[in-house]
Amino acid sequence: MERVVTINLNGNSYQLEEPAYDALRSYMTRAEAALGANPDKAEIVRDLEQAIADKCSAHLSPGKSVVSASEMTRILEEMGPVEGEAQAGAEQAQGGAAPQHEPWRPARRLYRIYDNGAWTGVSAGMAAYAGIDVAWVRVFWIVSGLFTGGFTCLVYLVMIFAVPVASTSEELAAAHGAPFNAQEVIDRARREAGRFAETSSAQWRNEERRWRRSWRRSERNWDAGWAAGAAQAAAAPAHPVGYVERMFAGLFAFVFSIITAALLIAFLIAFFSILSNGSVLGWTPPADVPTWLVLVVIAIAYAAISSPFSALQRTSYATLSGRRTGGATDGLATLAIVIIVGAFAWTYSEEARAFIEQGYVVIRDFVTYWSSQG
Amino acid sequence: MPVADEQFAGLRKGLLEFAILTFVSGRTSAYVGDILEALAPTPFATQEGTLYPLLSKLRREEFVDYQWVESGQGPPRKYYQLTDKGSGRLGELGAYWRHLTSTVESLGR
Repeated sequence: MERVVTINLNGNSYQLEEPAYDALRSYMTRAEAALGANPDKAEIVRDLEQAIADKCSAHLSPGKSVVSASEMTRILEEMGPVEGEAQAGAEQAQGGAAPQHEPWRPARRLYRIYDNGAWTGVSAGMAAYAGIDVAWVRVFWIVSGLFTGGFTCLVYLVMIFAVPVASTSEELAAAHGAPFNAQEVIDRARREAGRFAETSSAQWRNEERRWRRSWRRSERNWDAGWAAGAAQAAAAPAHPVGYVERMFAGLFAFVFSIITAALLIAFLIAFFSILSNGSVLGWTPPADVPTWLVLVVIAIAYAAISSPFSALQRTSYATLSGRRTGGATDGLATLAIVIIVGAFAWTYSEEARAFIEQGYVVIRDFVTYWSSQG
Repeated sequence: MPVADEQFAGLRKGLLEFAILTFVSGRTSAYVGDILEALAPTPFATQEGTLYPLLSKLRREEFVDYQWVESGQGPPRKYYQLTDKGSGRLGELGAYWRHLTSTVESLGR
């Protein structure tokens, strides 16, 4: 009987026979030792893990879920020993000259990290950023949520949208980052300022032109979407987007989700008010206009008002996911908000409860009427 | 010719960077799998354990750069391409290589 060890390679879990696990662990330990003070160590280790994960997948199939010791030996032979840069360093030392290029370091950035048992990855990302244990961050969220009466829960919710997920090894390295020190911050600020002065005017003009172009394009898309009523008109760029774009896309996704949900709720209220009372917010349609026509007008008005917001919402989600279409996330987010708001209203407002019950009665009557007809 | 292989390891190692830069220069972008596959039948056959650290060094020296590209299956891949600085370096390497070989030949005459 062989013991099986489950491991996490770059976010995916693999099952290894125990000797295979031992071999892999000693390989990675040797690799890290060989890389020593290599400034890209974290990234190279992630790359190696990914390469090993790919090779493991090749040995697995639906009927076979465990990587054996002999397979791991073969995989590690294929990988070959990890070579450090000891000689490179020695050459530089011999030359006596200071290195021309400053050592490259990933800029430390706040990402969400899906790792050991993370739910949204916000806490894990903050822990990596601050270099503390994730448990402390989770405790911080719970305690602050209790003390601020749920305000920080809202902050947390916004962060789920606004903080991008670290999915590549580079981003993961940036999530953990190289520790900052004051000198580094000052150097970087000085460097950035110099570069900014050199390139700013030209860059600004380029930037502006690009913005105008993309705005025109999205306007055209919008018109096309309007005309065709097509969902894919609001397509997102398929190229990978940067951190700032993703952050804004996340915030927009959040804001537009709330707007579309609010519109949907307003529509539902108007629709059911007309059906049950024949009036909306105290306004009664003229007596000579039939109810079905009022309902159709409300539905068309809702579609017209909500479609640009839905398009923007979809674009935001697509930008966030980096795929051309955002899938069903945008619709699900809207539905989730409507359900949550509905549940709150049901619990806390007598009127809302009466209204929802009324809506239920209307639907029930309609179904009864429909089935009696058929 | 395993004996020759063994003896000239140092020579090949010194030229691996040249070989990789040349390969990357020949196409718009290449990922690690492409490079390994292309080099496998040549004397420059190499492995991930060597290639990743070397590519990261070349990237730090700004001879190559990479972009993340979504792959059909699995996580996104790094696709490498030669930078302007890299093609300058490749030119220098080529010139120096020709200088070396012509020197060796002229010594024998």
